[in-house]
Amino acid sequence: MYNYKSIILAVTLVLLLSACKKNFEPSTAIDENSALTNAADIETATIGTYAVLRNPAYVRSSHFLMEYPGDEIAQGQNSSDDLSRAYRYNHITTSGHATNFWVQSYFVIGAANKIIAAIPDNSSADLRQLKGENLFLRAMMHFNLVRVFGRPYPQNSGDNPGIPVLKEDLTEEQKLTISRSKVKDVYASVIADLTNAADMMTLPKANPFASRQVANALLARIYLYMENNDKAIEFANKVINSGNYSLLSQSEFPNYFKMAPEGNSETIFCIRHTKTEDQDFSAIGSMYYSGDANGNPAGQAQSGWGEIYASKKYYDFLSTNPADKRQSFLSPYRINGVLQYNTRLTPNTPMYYINKYNLQEGIINLSSPVYIRLAEMYLIRAEANAKLGNAQLALDDVNLIRQRSGLSGTALHTVASIALSSKSVLDVVLEERWLELAFEGHRAYDLFRNGRSVVRNYPGTHALNVTPNNINQTITAADNRVVFFIPESERAKNPNLTQNP
Amino acid sequence: MKKSKQSFHRVSSYLVLLFLVFTTIVLQRANAQAKSEKLIISGTVTDNNNQSLAGANVAIKGKKTVAVTDAGGKFSVDVFKGDVLVISYVNMTPAEIVAEKSGPIEIKLQTQDKLLEEVVIVGYSSKKAKYLSSAVSTVSGDKLRDVTSNNLASLLQGKAPGVLVSSASGDPTSGSNILIRGAGTISAGSGPLVVVDGNIGGTYNPSDVESVTILKDAAATGLYGSRAGNGVMIITTKSGKAGKSKIEFSSVVGLNNATTGNFKLMNSRQLFDYLSSFSTPDPAMVNTNTNWWDLTFRQSLTQNYTLSASGGNDKTQYYISGNLYKEEGTLIENDKTAHNFRTNLTHRFSNKLKLSVLLNGIYTKDKYNPEGGLYQAYTYLPFDAAYGTDGRPVDSRYVQWYGRDQSNYLYSMQYNSSNARSFNLSSDVNIDYTITRHLSFATYNRASFFDYSSRSFYDKRSQGGATNGGELYNSESFSKTFVSSNRLRYENSFGNHNIAVLAVGEATQSAYDVLSTSVKGLPPGRPFASTATAVINVPTGGRNEYSFHKYLAQADYNFANKYFAVASFVRDRSSRFGNNNSAANFYQLGASWIATTENFMKGINAINFLKLRISYGTTGNAEIGDYASLGLYSLSTSSSYAGQPGAAPSQKANPNLTWEKQKAANIGIDITLLKRIELSVDVYQKTAEDLLYRKPLPATTGYSFIFENVGSVRNRGIEFSLTTKNIMKRDFTWETNLNMAFNRNKVLSLNAGALYSNPGAAQPIGVGYDMDAWNLPVWAGVDPSNGDPLWEKVVMDANGKKYVTYTNNYNSVANATSRQYLGKSSAPKFSGGISNTITYKGFTLSAFMNFVYGNYVYNDTRFYYDNDGNYDSYNSMVFPKEWTRWQKAGDIATHPRALPGGNKLSNASSSRYLEDGSYIRLRNITLGYNLPTNFLEKMKISSARVFISGDNLWTGTNFSGPDPEVVLSSGVSSFRYPTSKKILFGLSVSF
Repeated sequence: MYNYKSIILAVTLVLLLSACKKNFEPSTAIDENSALTNAADIETATIGTYAVLRNPAYVRSSHFLMEYPGDEIAQGQNSSDDLSRAYRYNHITTSGHATNFWVQSYFVIGAANKIIAAIPDNSSADLRQLKGENLFLRAMMHFNLVRVFGRPYPQNSGDNPGIPVLKEDLTEEQKLTISRSKVKDVYASVIADLTNAADMMTLPKANPFASRQVANALLARIYLYMENNDKAIEFANKVINSGNYSLLSQSEFPNYFKMAPEGNSETIFCIRHTKTEDQDFSAIGSMYYSGDANGNPAGQAQSGWGEIYASKKYYDFLSTNPADKRQSFLSPYRINGVLQYNTRLTPNTPMYYINKYNLQEGIINLSSPVYIRLAEMYLIRAEANAKLGNAQLALDDVNLIRQRSGLSGTALHTVASIALSSKSVLDVVLEERWLELAFEGHRAYDLFRNGRSVVRNYPGTHALNVTPNNINQTITAADNRVVFFIPESERAKNPNLTQNP
Repeated sequence: MKKSKQSFHRVSSYLVLLFLVFTTIVLQRANAQAKSEKLIISGTVTDNNNQSLAGANVAIKGKKTVAVTDAGGKFSVDVFKGDVLVISYVNMTPAEIVAEKSGPIEIKLQTQDKLLEEVVIVGYSSKKAKYLSSAVSTVSGDKLRDVTSNNLASLLQGKAPGVLVSSASGDPTSGSNILIRGAGTISAGSGPLVVVDGNIGGTYNPSDVESVTILKDAAATGLYGSRAGNGVMIITTKSGKAGKSKIEFSSVVGLNNATTGNFKLMNSRQLFDYLSSFSTPDPAMVNTNTNWWDLTFRQSLTQNYTLSASGGNDKTQYYISGNLYKEEGTLIENDKTAHNFRTNLTHRFSNKLKLSVLLNGIYTKDKYNPEGGLYQAYTYLPFDAAYGTDGRPVDSRYVQWYGRDQSNYLYSMQYNSSNARSFNLSSDVNIDYTITRHLSFATYNRASFFDYSSRSFYDKRSQGGATNGGELYNSESFSKTFVSSNRLRYENSFGNHNIAVLAVGEATQSAYDVLSTSVKGLPPGRPFASTATAVINVPTGGRNEYSFHKYLAQADYNFANKYFAVASFVRDRSSRFGNNNSAANFYQLGASWIATTENFMKGINAINFLKLRISYGTTGNAEIGDYASLGLYSLSTSSSYAGQPGAAPSQKANPNLTWEKQKAANIGIDITLLKRIELSVDVYQKTAEDLLYRKPLPATTGYSFIFENVGSVRNRGIEFSLTTKNIMKRDFTWETNLNMAFNRNKVLSLNAGALYSNPGAAQPIGVGYDMDAWNLPVWAGVDPSNGDPLWEKVVMDANGKKYVTYTNNYNSVANATSRQYLGKSSAPKFSGGISNTITYKGFTLSAFMNFVYGNYVYNDTRFYYDNDGNYDSYNSMVFPKEWTRWQKAGDIATHPRALPGGNKLSNASSSRYLEDGSYIRLRNITLGYNLPTNFLEKMKISSARVFISGDNLWTGTNFSGPDPEVVLSSGVSSFRYPTSKKILFGLSVSF
């Protein structure tokens, strides 16, 4: 009786518990073993690769690293954010933005590699297109990384330390201990990926996504940076002649960055942000603009921090031609017609707000940063022709861009006019790149890769570390700080990563 | 002004309501008075050894003292039949005698070994403290509640040896951290497992807590297996006792002020002069002098009211209580209101079957400052006016503003709000069934539900809401947890051999759902989603689940209550671990010996009690999130792109992931000397293995981390609790308790011979070092010749010999070579508490202090207000006496020359901001008075007490910030919300 009862109880107890043994899967994630098993899943995963670009740690940090070293912007006040260091060239090995950029770039590469490995080269057109898109993203990341952490290719013909190159066939151990490849080897790998990608991508895609001409456009840029001018022209021509893109008209142009990107015929590739992906005060545009949704500027911190302005140097240069439509990308903050100044520094900094990263689809801080657009293709061709001695061809492309901005007559260049002003054709091309592609992350690198200096003799925080109240700063192409430090936290995890001097 | 008036209105209405309740009760009871037969009782009072006790108190229960024994221990009193006589003497257990008939009686009082005789609930069973083989600390509810807080952890601070409580904030809506016997885990949770009323998890309110028992060694915690690695905190709520019904009311009301310690920010003139020393600030700035700290902090109100009823008969007992706790933060627009209801019922259907039903509901409202407030208080410039000439907050968007953020948060705060509410419901049904005399079965079952919602609203009129024309963020979550624990117990005695065997099967299952939305374009003052015109971000939401299954067996043996042994085995399985390793086994052994029961000890009168304890066993830790072992692609709005859903790799798989294991050994001694001194000492060693670790990966792997089981960490320590009865007079007693714990931590090994588990971090967890040890570039002071900051640079010569040089180039020291261990850790060398209680007649004076010593705090906020000119649009701190600023060549100074834009990265992370975090704090001082019984008798009140109490009134420290307390495992102080100093008035009445 006694034993009988207790046995029943004990058995009940055990049954009660073993009935509900199970494992749980998360609701907002999928197991990696089932993530890449069919074409639809691979497409979903590819979207996930693009999505990393939208992470502020990528798009915002990379913007700071590429744009802030330039001479078209002026920081009007000290900021506790690491972005100041990119502007002032007082880099730190533990830079938050450099770490963000490095880490997110390799996340994209890691995600792309999984998909690249999962698609055989002889797959269907749909899958080959996806493989090509991932190859493009991998190439784009490596290229941006080597731009930020490796010295410009023309210096020592690329025989300088670059960045680790990650292909899909590396072992886990290799990924943990990989070393930096040379700049020229990174370039070679990027060119191979892009060539391969252009071959695989056969389907039409909207400009938030990669397609054949996107790969060609990036190849044109890369060949230009390598000073392989013939190839640069060849690939620029492929894109220009593809018929996929056209320059916006004079009247559309001022709204370039306000319209939804898919309807923009000039954009080749952009990092799309939809209406529900507004980063607000953490957006790139928050640093450049503060005001209302109609584009009327207002005091700082109304809609954004508004502490990075167009430099007086750029503003004055742009203003030499009052008809220049590119002035519409600036929103000088005026009250009753009086220009306002940020007074935290002496001399005070004029508040020339920039609106290239604001007001998309009517949302103040929304923007889809443009990575490549058609105007750059013309300017790549112009620069390559200038270097090959084809002066007239170079000026034709420059003038095409100037006409589109509403310039005409004497505002257009001729071989004779530039000789009069004792400028070279290359000078004129680089000036036009500066005017046209200002704030899009090109300027400092355009100067350095051409062996020129960044000269900042205008109000801003840039020279504060040298002597108080001095506003003059010159950074030569040979300066150590033309490149950023490899993030110390990554070096700590992988001691094979050498540091830049 | 208006604010405090409102709160006093609220207080007074509560008080009026409660007063009415009392009066009703008092009047009813006064009418029910009845007289009965008169008796004369005389007697003799003696102690254990038949010595007569002079001066013993003889009282009628609930009334005043009626007699005191004479030199021969004799007394005589007149009573009514049925009265209960209470005979008491200092340090003796009081005796109660019901007056049945006249005549002489003999009363023998027993020496009170209160702590040892107390029954302690240890997990699946309860035992007298003196029969335990393991290291436990028990704190009674009354001891806990000297400090006024709604947070049990905060009440525990300093009260039990080896239980380290630290809090990051004085915010009443925030909690505290508890660490038992040092940190033995890296990435898993470090808090103890909470067990309420016999089952894992559950809810409770401090006002209902009867006692808290902290299980520290493996013999005690072991039965909780995989979840016991950080220790176990057992909470027992109050229950009714058979007999007279009891109604109790208590009220505590008081005022709070923020502590500021050694910290002071500059006023307008001071800051202007400082800025002028290296730049040319606008002279007009000095016309305004705003004290943002004072505008952000306030004197605020704490209220705590409890009403309870308890009682019952032999079959049924009840305890019912309600509590209202409201604490306003010292920070403006921040408060917490908690309503708690509990019903504990027990019913005996027969001698064999007992049913217990416990119900607890807690409703909490938290109000947060919508603008944060702390950052502003610490950094805003005194040059900016908060209020205009009309007395209204200035809209900073339209005026000259010097501060960095161009924002007057007091303006936005008028329109914005941020709050949360939660509802906790916990319901237990427990059945105890005696199958035979030796065999019993129990089933303990609990369902817990938790509902939470939060709302943050940024009105379009405010600065934060302007861009989107008003913003509203809502979040809703719901969780449910079911626990069923089924226990079979066998007990028997064979002569002097007593054995008990326990078998338990237990399952836990839990699910959590969340949904968050954000909308914009709302009319002013309408924080409701339906009034919005568009969404800001796509809503997010999901579900998490986990389960545990456990079987255990325990055998408990004792011989003649002299020798004790316990052994147990636990098998545990969790959904949280990898498929390859989801189950684990744990075992525990313990033994103890009460030496004073031996004949050879009988002669030693000085030693009243002596016990030796020893234990060894293994436990685990599973607090690592629900899906840590899986390789995942995340599906979320952050992996979507251009309006299409996407999936991005988010977590690297580790199918071998398993429990973290703790091996713990403990040796303890409990001793009572001269009936006045009670001492418990425990020495322990805990070695944690297979540490759960969120290992950082280089980005080139495509991931930022992987969960792994890595290496081992050892904690060794000694802790003691000493209680001394310094004075034991009839009307005058003084008791002191001191508890202290010394813990030393060392990382023994990491996987694959790695030297650091988190290389490059400020606390990198290095082999051979304390896991909380700081490893930073070393600040070497100021170069006297030019005022530059200097750091130590470690250089290796050609022979591989290291030596130190000095540099002003931070980048050359922010690397693995030049980061150095400084022998400083964020973990204290020792911690503890000391309390003194003095009673004199009806008065009680108690003082309680807690202390931590030898820990180092990284004072991160100095980056903002002590940075040598780097941020001229933030306010600066006033230097403490010992600090000096370099001015001219030759100056020996603590602070570099100030320069616009800062001096060579002088405020970058280094040992510069590492400060001694030791402190001693007067946690509480209370003066109480028990109202005389003859006065209370007329109102039929059995007891009443009034008190005045002060919490955190004094803190001794060298720390330069407002408050040295930090969460000790992180050791970083950043924009600290200071602890509140409280002055409280209390009243408690029992009928």
